[in-house]
Amino acid sequence: MQKRFVSIWFRQLLADWQLIRRPELAVVPFVFTAPDHGRLLITAVSPLARDFGVELGMRSADAKAICPNLEVLDDKPGRPLKLLRGLGEWCVRYAPIVAIDQFAKDGLLLDVSGCAHLWGGEREYLKEIVSRLKSKGYTTRVAIADTAGAAWAVSRYGKITPLIPEGGHTEALLSLVPEALRLDEPVLAKLRKLGFHQIKSFIGMPRSVLRRRFGEHFLSQLAKALGTEEEVIQPLQVPIPFQERLPCLEPIKTRTGIEIAIARMLESLCKRLQAEGKGLRTGVLTGYRIDGKIVHISIGTSGASHSVSHLFKLFQLKIEQIRPALGIELFILDVPRVDEVEVPQESMWTAKPGLDNQSVIRLLDRVAGKVGFDVIHRYLPATRYWPERSLRSAVSVTEKPTTDWRMDKPRPTELLRRPDPIEVMALIPDHPPKFFIYKGVQHFVVKADGPERIEREWWLDKGEHRDYYQVEDEKGHRYWLFRSGHYGGEQKYQWFIHGFFA
Amino acid sequence: MEYSELQVTSNFSFLRGASHANELVDQAEAFGYKKIAITDHNTLAGIVRAHVACREKNISLIPACRLDLLDGPSLLAYPTNIEAYGRLSALLTQGNMRAEKGSCHISRADVYAHAKGMIFTAIMPETLNRKFQFEDSFIGAIAQYREAFGHQLYLSASRTYLGNDDKLIFRISQLSDRFNVPVVATGNIHYHDPSRRELQDVLTCVREKCTVQEAGFRLHQNAERYLKPVAEMHRLFRKYPEAIENTLRISEACNFSLDELKYVYPQEINQSGRSPLEELEHLTWRGAHDFYGEVIPDKVVNMVIHEMNFVKQMDYANYFLFVEDIVREARSRGILCQGRGSAANSAICFCLGITSVNPMKFDLLFERFISPARNEPPDIDVDFEHERREEIIQYIYTKYGRDRAAIVATVTQQHQKGAIRDVGKAMGLSVDTINRLSGSLWEHTDEWFEGKRITEQGLNPEDPHLKKTLELTAQMMGFPRQLGQHTGGFVVTNGKLTDLCPILNARMEDRTNIEWNKDDIDALGFLKVDVLALGMLTCIRKAFDLCRDHYGLNLTLANIPQDDPEVYKMISAADTLGVFQIESRAQMSMLPRLRPECFYDLVIEVAIVRPGPIQGDMVHPYLRRRNGEEPIVYPSQELEEILGRTLGVPLFQEQAMKIAIVAAGFTPAEADGLRRSMATFKFKGLVNQYEQKLIDGMVNKGYTVEFAKRIFKQLEGFGSYGFPESHAASFALLVYVSCWLKHYYPDVFSTALLNSMPMGFYQPAQIVIDAQKHTVQVREVDVNYSSWNNLLEEKSGKYHAIRLGFRQIKGIREDEMEILVAGRGDHYHSITGLRDAGVSMATLERLADADAFRSMSLDRRKALWEVSALQDMPAEIFKGQPSESVLETQVELPLMSKGEHVVQDYASVGLSLKAHPVSFVRDQLDMLRILSCRGINNEAMNGQLVKVAGLVLVRQRPGTAGGVCFITIEDETGFSNLVVFEKLFEKYRKEILHARLLMVEGRLQREKEVVHVIVTKCMDLTKMLGKLMQREADDLPILTLSRADEKSAPYPAQDKRSQVREDGTKSANNVFHGGRNFK
Repeated sequence: MQKRFVSIWFRQLLADWQLIRRPELAVVPFVFTAPDHGRLLITAVSPLARDFGVELGMRSADAKAICPNLEVLDDKPGRPLKLLRGLGEWCVRYAPIVAIDQFAKDGLLLDVSGCAHLWGGEREYLKEIVSRLKSKGYTTRVAIADTAGAAWAVSRYGKITPLIPEGGHTEALLSLVPEALRLDEPVLAKLRKLGFHQIKSFIGMPRSVLRRRFGEHFLSQLAKALGTEEEVIQPLQVPIPFQERLPCLEPIKTRTGIEIAIARMLESLCKRLQAEGKGLRTGVLTGYRIDGKIVHISIGTSGASHSVSHLFKLFQLKIEQIRPALGIELFILDVPRVDEVEVPQESMWTAKPGLDNQSVIRLLDRVAGKVGFDVIHRYLPATRYWPERSLRSAVSVTEKPTTDWRMDKPRPTELLRRPDPIEVMALIPDHPPKFFIYKGVQHFVVKADGPERIEREWWLDKGEHRDYYQVEDEKGHRYWLFRSGHYGGEQKYQWFIHGFFA
Repeated sequence: MEYSELQVTSNFSFLRGASHANELVDQAEAFGYKKIAITDHNTLAGIVRAHVACREKNISLIPACRLDLLDGPSLLAYPTNIEAYGRLSALLTQGNMRAEKGSCHISRADVYAHAKGMIFTAIMPETLNRKFQFEDSFIGAIAQYREAFGHQLYLSASRTYLGNDDKLIFRISQLSDRFNVPVVATGNIHYHDPSRRELQDVLTCVREKCTVQEAGFRLHQNAERYLKPVAEMHRLFRKYPEAIENTLRISEACNFSLDELKYVYPQEINQSGRSPLEELEHLTWRGAHDFYGEVIPDKVVNMVIHEMNFVKQMDYANYFLFVEDIVREARSRGILCQGRGSAANSAICFCLGITSVNPMKFDLLFERFISPARNEPPDIDVDFEHERREEIIQYIYTKYGRDRAAIVATVTQQHQKGAIRDVGKAMGLSVDTINRLSGSLWEHTDEWFEGKRITEQGLNPEDPHLKKTLELTAQMMGFPRQLGQHTGGFVVTNGKLTDLCPILNARMEDRTNIEWNKDDIDALGFLKVDVLALGMLTCIRKAFDLCRDHYGLNLTLANIPQDDPEVYKMISAADTLGVFQIESRAQMSMLPRLRPECFYDLVIEVAIVRPGPIQGDMVHPYLRRRNGEEPIVYPSQELEEILGRTLGVPLFQEQAMKIAIVAAGFTPAEADGLRRSMATFKFKGLVNQYEQKLIDGMVNKGYTVEFAKRIFKQLEGFGSYGFPESHAASFALLVYVSCWLKHYYPDVFSTALLNSMPMGFYQPAQIVIDAQKHTVQVREVDVNYSSWNNLLEEKSGKYHAIRLGFRQIKGIREDEMEILVAGRGDHYHSITGLRDAGVSMATLERLADADAFRSMSLDRRKALWEVSALQDMPAEIFKGQPSESVLETQVELPLMSKGEHVVQDYASVGLSLKAHPVSFVRDQLDMLRILSCRGINNEAMNGQLVKVAGLVLVRQRPGTAGGVCFITIEDETGFSNLVVFEKLFEKYRKEILHARLLMVEGRLQREKEVVHVIVTKCMDLTKMLGKLMQREADDLPILTLSRADEKSAPYPAQDKRSQVREDGTKSANNVFHGGRNFK
């Protein structure tokens, strides 16, 4: 069978992608830039910015000069490839073999041999591709030809028709510019200087003459376009999502039935997760009822897990939320979020105590499943002076503190969420209190240390600094007190109690 | 109650201290301190400023230093006498020289070796260990220090409210008893006022490269490191009164003042056996006789005698001798030089050969340049050829030795842009916001802080975080950021330089510099000579050499015929492309109005087109007066003396300063302070203060407020861009010399200019076109005739022909061209010959691109075809065998049009001798009724609506012109000057900044010979040039889709131009020089 190839050129890949994400940018010229030798160079231009004369490879500062309201966005290396991968996966619907254009990295190559008739011919086939991509928001140019090289060339430089009939690719190439052969810039510059503005100006020359001047690679690129040398394209591997489907022969109405369904799906899912070294962080179970309604339940974990029993227990807690009504005919288990699982080393004797112990995590997951995650707190030290901000909530159970708890300064074991005002008798300007009254009880201070002066985090809030004192009353209880502001300062001073030492 | 602060970190401990030395001194004085020490970290860079701030105040400075050691607790070091100070300086030098620039490596042993005469204070640690004890290492170090320093050692105690003050000081006092080391109270000061804590936090973030949000414990916990009132210090140390007393004991022991540093001229200056003055007189008279012959004109004799008296009175003889020595050395090496600066234009300097400005032509009072009130050495800067200045620098190092000669430092200060970047980053603003903020600084104005510019950038100036950022930026501006190397200011001493100031390694190899900058040096009265580089001197020397070789002339700066009316005629016609100083657009448009006729007119010309006079609106009054359109009147008798030479209009820096002194009652020091305060950067408050003082002073003396304001405005401009008369005079001489050369020997001048590139305003293309306009023949680069430099060949017509050199070709290396020339022998007959000579393939291709094979009857395309076949040329043993390409069939290459050649010429050489690019599109331009530049300049009428197009040469948007943009365009017939007003600029921003070929529509404005087009519309015609490169269009397939295709439309609707990748225009775009942009 005659080989046929389609080349899809995304003319403004990044710009289109950005416009899909942020439609409000349609009226703003914008560019993407990446640092290059200390300068910011433009790597992608929106259509609007192009109208202002902004071009690829310009310095961002220069572009801003000609287009002052230009929005400059950061380009992440590898983003175009990531986008192309996504688009390529989507294009698998059109042809089994889809490859990323490795030369310009702004297009796709499809081996469509024997595919086009399914859409009613090549013209309709191309129309479908272009209009579907257009509706997604991507501007493209496509071409179809016998060789990938020719399709690539015509999609980018062709001026007549994107449909190159079988056997017609050589003729189609003749009038195109040498750039259409996917050549490197030095060779292209030489061709330009020699006045070879079209492929036909040199295609007839003896190969030896060309090889001596332009090298082997040039000949190979030419041959690939002409089809005298075969081009191997590397198809994309399309990943299969973590999803399990369970169609039921009879609608399921009972809790037991649902449990069996969940267990079956979890078994095969966890096997796959384990094989790929992944673990579930969130899972969604969807039930399709025979009355056409859909029901969901979802679970989350504190750490990635592929343990069937653990995940099953988490689902169990939620089963009663499912209303099967007349019955569920299809279950789908989706895993939208997975994480790498750190495989714990098998310990010989006992598992380590504390938070590294998996059973603690499982317990927490189950407790949280009942009472909710928002009532369980874990605090870690933060490197900040202001007492209220000197600790922070941990994000997960396994999170490690980035710094040690401070030991060089006295800090109470119990810190009040809000300091409580107290009445105090103390000598000015910075002596510790003689006594203080807290909740109606008078405490005489017998020992004291301080003051420790802590200033506000001025970039966050205004206000007075605090002078902290650690005091001990006649009963031997220790308190953390502070005075906000100076005596005789502009703002009124005020005493507070802020914590208790054990 | 008394107290002296002995531990102060100023902002010369970069990114640590958050106050200027003078702020600290002022605050200390206000609190009634009698003495204060400045102890920056391992540096003495800030002490001169502190010293100057203490002058005329009731407080004195203890010059000191904090020594951060590699192997021990830090020490504060206070020298008690000048010898000890010298040792401290030597110690720091030692530490600097063994470390990279920016750090200083000192060990305990080094300190012990330099300890004599110094008092030390060991700095208290900030924390105790878990047992409430000092670490053993600290206690051990104190024991050792005690042994080494004996009773010179103290222990510091500071209260910084970290919660453990009492414990720490108790332990310190225990330690004091144990080792018998007295305790001294210090404040560990980082700023003069607690409000600076925020800035100090930001500095910490800059140092730690983090944002203030994530800085955490890297910041200080509170704002207690500020300078405290004496009573507060007494209260804080009420339990340890002896700690306070000890501060006084130390400060009383430290009586060394920087005023004791006396500068001694190096002995080598004068080895004649005569006294310096005698030697100076001897040399001066000898020089005078050499120039004037037996009979020296009376005028010169009188001037020399007058000046000699002054020199004698001020004891400046050594200084002149020192400069004379350098200049003599330069002359003996054939390096051209020219002095300028306050004392340079004296009869003495002329006789000594330091300057070539003939005193006969130019009578200025010598004292005018030197103010005897300020007892500081005269200032002479010497410019040398930029390519050979290093020789002179190394001469000075060799003659006086590296321990006695060094370059002064420049303190890089935080300017707006840098400050906003640093502060913005530390405040955690996004890169984008920072870019916008600093982008809004394009024009440097005060409005910026008032929010107008910021609103334009789409930011909210009311946002508190942004406001704080701006506030801190304003505080940070003017902070020293790093010590750099001055461009060429040398200090040479008789004794060791390290006795005066620490020396450190400069970033450049073979250079060392001191820690102080030129203001510091001035303040202490040290000798300093600026050894500067000037490109035009290189050009002039090359021109002199060419004149010698080709015209048999022996020219020097001094023997060029003076006052040649022909030369002034040329200058008045603004035919000054390429000459020194007066070649810019603004200068050129001024020349026909000013019509200089004598040397002093040139001096004025040089000074008048500068931001100072322009901002002060002094230019037009001067022009009107000169042309007799306005009567010359003086506001007062006293001002007539100052302004008489410039027709009552102040044009020079000295005049503005003198007015401040004479008319507003400033002291000379105040006037100087005013200039400096504006030169360094705008301290808004301070400048306003001066403004009020000046205006009040002048109004009191009976001047109008308006005049006073104008004077102030001009002074403001002079601050940053001032041009003193003496500098203008030195420059005017070079202007005259370069004009003389250009007038009589345009061939020589152009060649020398091309060989000294890059310099000046213009590209080689314009210089070549200008040479051709003066009937000089210019010949293209050729492998058989050119050398690296541009050459003069045999005469063709009136002048020698210029042969362009290989240096004009982009990307070619000099050494390879030497190989080429060496291997040339008689003639190269084939490209293979060049390859055999050892020229690389890449270079051969570049030569082909430059069309340099014409003498072998190969055009660039054929040459490239041949060159690229050489890749498999037989080498080694097969050398000499015929290449395979000889045997291959002949290939017909596409013919190259002239237009294509020109484009290629520009791409490779930056100019074309074949034609001007615009000439190829002339027909099209004619059809659009676009005039040529010649048409604009010669034929069009004033007020006529015209269209003109050309390549953009220069875009200028000077800060003084209120947003107006000046553009110069060029076509094959000449230049046109365009004026674009701000509003229009915003509208046509893209065209103006982007176009290589710019077409404008506008109204012609003709004022005498000066023609401008006031632009009303702009258009980018660059695409037209692109067509020069276009491929043969005849056999391109027709651009239609078949009907079916149109309907199915696989191409989404887009305009045709963007449908296909464009290549032709793209390359043309990059070929032509984008024009130079000036602010």
